[in-house]
Amino acid sequence: MVENNEVELSEAEAEQYDRQIRLWGLESQKRLRASKVLIIGLCGLGAETAKNIILSGVKSVCLLDNEKLKEIDLYSQFLTPPDKVGENRAEASLQRARALNPMVDVTAETRAVDDLPDEYFTTFDIVCATGLKQEQLERINNVCRDSNKKFLCGDVWGMFGYMFADLVDHEYSEEIVQHKAVKRGPDDTEKNARETVSITVKRRAIYVPLQNALSADWRRPELRSRLRRGDPSYFVLKILLRFRDEYNRNPDPAKRKSDTETLLRMRDELVKELSLPAGFISDDLLTDVYGIVAGAAAVVGGVIGQEVVKAVSQREPPHNNMFFFNPVKCVGFVELYGQ
Amino acid sequence: MVARVAGVFDEKLTEAIANSKILVVGAGGIGCEILKNLVLTGFPQIEIIDLDTIDVSNLNRQFLFHKEHVGKSKAQVAKDSALSFNPNVNIIAHHDSVISNDYGVSYFKQFNIVMNALDNRVARNHVNRMCLAANVPLIETGTAGYAGQVELIKKGLTQCYECQPKAPQKTFPGCTIRNTPSEPIHCIVWAKHLFNQLFGEEDPDQDVSPDTADPEAAGEAGASALSSEGTTSGNVERKSTRQWAADTNYDAEKLFTKLFGDDIRYLLSMENLWKKRRPPTPLTWDNLPGKDDTPAQHSGLPDQRVWSVHECAQVFAASCKALQADLAGRPEGDHLVWDKDEKSAMDFVTACANIRAYIFNIPTKSRFEIKSMAGNIIPAIATANAIVAGLAVLRAQSILRGHLAAATSVYLRPKVNHRGQLFVPEKTLTPPNPKCYVCAPKPEVGLACNLKSLTLKELTTAFKDGLNMQAPDATVEGKGLVVLSSEPGETDHNNDKTLEQIGLNDGCALLVDDFLQNYEVRVRLQQEDEEKTWRLVTDADAPMPAPKEEKPANGSNGADEPKPGPSRTRADSDSDMEIIEEDEDETTVKPPKRRRTEMSDEVVELC
Ligand SMILES: [Zn+2]
Repeated sequence: MVENNEVELSEAEAEQYDRQIRLWGLESQKRLRASKVLIIGLCGLGAETAKNIILSGVKSVCLLDNEKLKEIDLYSQFLTPPDKVGENRAEASLQRARALNPMVDVTAETRAVDDLPDEYFTTFDIVCATGLKQEQLERINNVCRDSNKKFLCGDVWGMFGYMFADLVDHEYSEEIVQHKAVKRGPDDTEKNARETVSITVKRRAIYVPLQNALSADWRRPELRSRLRRGDPSYFVLKILLRFRDEYNRNPDPAKRKSDTETLLRMRDELVKELSLPAGFISDDLLTDVYGIVAGAAAVVGGVIGQEVVKAVSQREPPHNNMFFFNPVKCVGFVELYGQ
Repeated sequence: MVARVAGVFDEKLTEAIANSKILVVGAGGIGCEILKNLVLTGFPQIEIIDLDTIDVSNLNRQFLFHKEHVGKSKAQVAKDSALSFNPNVNIIAHHDSVISNDYGVSYFKQFNIVMNALDNRVARNHVNRMCLAANVPLIETGTAGYAGQVELIKKGLTQCYECQPKAPQKTFPGCTIRNTPSEPIHCIVWAKHLFNQLFGEEDPDQDVSPDTADPEAAGEAGASALSSEGTTSGNVERKSTRQWAADTNYDAEKLFTKLFGDDIRYLLSMENLWKKRRPPTPLTWDNLPGKDDTPAQHSGLPDQRVWSVHECAQVFAASCKALQADLAGRPEGDHLVWDKDEKSAMDFVTACANIRAYIFNIPTKSRFEIKSMAGNIIPAIATANAIVAGLAVLRAQSILRGHLAAATSVYLRPKVNHRGQLFVPEKTLTPPNPKCYVCAPKPEVGLACNLKSLTLKELTTAFKDGLNMQAPDATVEGKGLVVLSSEPGETDHNNDKTLEQIGLNDGCALLVDDFLQNYEVRVRLQQEDEEKTWRLVTDADAPMPAPKEEKPANGSNGADEPKPGPSRTRADSDSDMEIIEEDEDETTVKPPKRRRTEMSDEVVELC
């Protein structure tokens, strides 16, 4: 994993990162400073993720995108000036991304992921991908996995969003707060004689690749019992990924009516295929999946950004392995799939 | 039409957004994020208020600001940066305090939603009242470290920000600070008091000399010492510490000798204090531990190295000199205000706290750690702010759609709960507390005090600090007699009279109102001979902040995790997962000075 850089922080770094060092410690900050991050897909979610990672103070961030900036991106993409519609999204994001934190080396790559060799992806410590098709995600995930590099992906459709993480074989430390009885003076009561001490424990988490998580077998009883919890977000994700694969695009606000019909039809097919309870995936989850809503991009980009910080700093338990944001209930939750 | 592409939202929401007007209070970490989301989503009319200017320690999360903006107005720079995301929206920036006559009830009434992104209770209380008075939905937000929350406040529908009593700010008994410190924080509080005694605003409640009235030392209260060195101890000679220090020309050695030598010997003479405690060790200026040590190899930030006592004394001398020069450069009668980000002020407190800690056998700490404790720094990070601001704007969208009942509070947890949830929404809105002294139809509260000694001036303080009013007026119920007027001069001549002298007695009720907040409360006076100052008494069943619950067995979280669930009170504020955004230590508004705050029935002054 990321080499712990032994060089001490400069005064400027200590000053700028003061508050977060107070939260996650100096060691984490040094690990962050040594890590190289690749962000694929500079839509709104990519911009949110890039912002959070650049602010955290990593060594370098590469923004990879071969697409052109579209009007609809401006609903959530704040790194690209509105007058750059039609230009490459990664290049258009560069200037503002660099201004977020001049101490981070930010670059742009405009080639398509399919044109890049496997070795390209493994030059980074961690890859965050968004806006790709399932097979592209799986390819990059497997390439990273073979080189023991971390992989995250996520998407936001309208207000719905998800994140997947494959940190392979991840070691991390976790701070645990314990209560300890201490007695200093005769007037110490039980109450004030209790002190909290935090101890750090080493832990390890084993991950599975994306293809395992997305091909979870719902006939198995242990997954079946999950249906009782009643959140259909996993299936909403499957439907939206299928839509993207089948039509080579995301649901289009300009075709709101017909695309919604298509999505609901795909929903019915999936319900039949996996014998899910009727009405389990309600219509309202599939009617607000157009564009990328800024608030939802901020939420999911915040979660992905935090997971990148946890992964490279090897501090605090990262999510294993899927996070969903269900906007109808405003709930965000983590579940393990494919193990 | 501001929305660029039709069809992202359904027609109803598209239209509601197009016709909306939003006020954002605060342009800090959450405020920047909220503003970005609003502008991108296409909210056409936004106003943003912030009193603050940009500091370098904001830059790790307040992403609308860059290094070249340090020192500039947050509201103005936030507006300029956000407009570059979408020049089609209208933003009005106010570099101002929200607590001002310029932002009255009619100002608030023009907005569909007010979004709070504040860092202090005083301003939150105020905006809460303005939104209740204007009947505008308020979205409260806050983060602390990895945790955060979003809450809707709507008159008559939900609880208000002041419905649940909040834990008073943590205070320590005066005699612990002055006589018998046992923890680093006691020494840090003492050092901050010392700063104010020497350079800041002098406050009789912040005496730093030995407290001879300590009941533990009762009877023999250092009698022997009194006779031997009665001139140097604060309680004996009523000369102010400031004057004495000035007379010595802030001579570091003399100051040191008095504070860390003579005063400690005086404490030692109060023998009862040390019967069961380890007694302190007085120090001598020219024979300090660590003098001949070569500094050990240190890894980490320079501020994370713990200084030797000898080094502390040197820093003490240097910072005294710098602070003296700072003070001398100001107009006569002016004073310094302690600020964790002022180098000399922070050096002074670090040095004094550590020297005192050493004397009392308390572990010494690094400047880095002492800064956190002395400055009440609640670490803030970009990701938690982004998540909370994102949730807040999504909640604003459902409110605009008219789905108020569905806009329940949402908690961002530092770690997932047992159900795997990271964002935990409440199932229902929390209804108002019918006995809330702010949002109840007829607000009422008791004020316990000694009518024979409490002056009108002190009563004014009670209304301002206890009831969070800005400019209170008070009349006697049923008589219409004006007791207190916010008009300058009208009742000032009574300021030093006691309540009894102006004709108020036990059980009498005052109607107290604040014109700006459009808030009136009935205050019942309760005579209590024992009460030294005043304290608020809420209706009998109003709960005191509940004692902290033990963590469930599976929760390995720190003490500061927010507790989701409707039963949650806002009582957990000493761990600061109250809606407190940011780490700013309430510089915008002066925190209440009283030892007893809000609804605390607990007598904090133990000695
Ligand atoms: Zn209330």
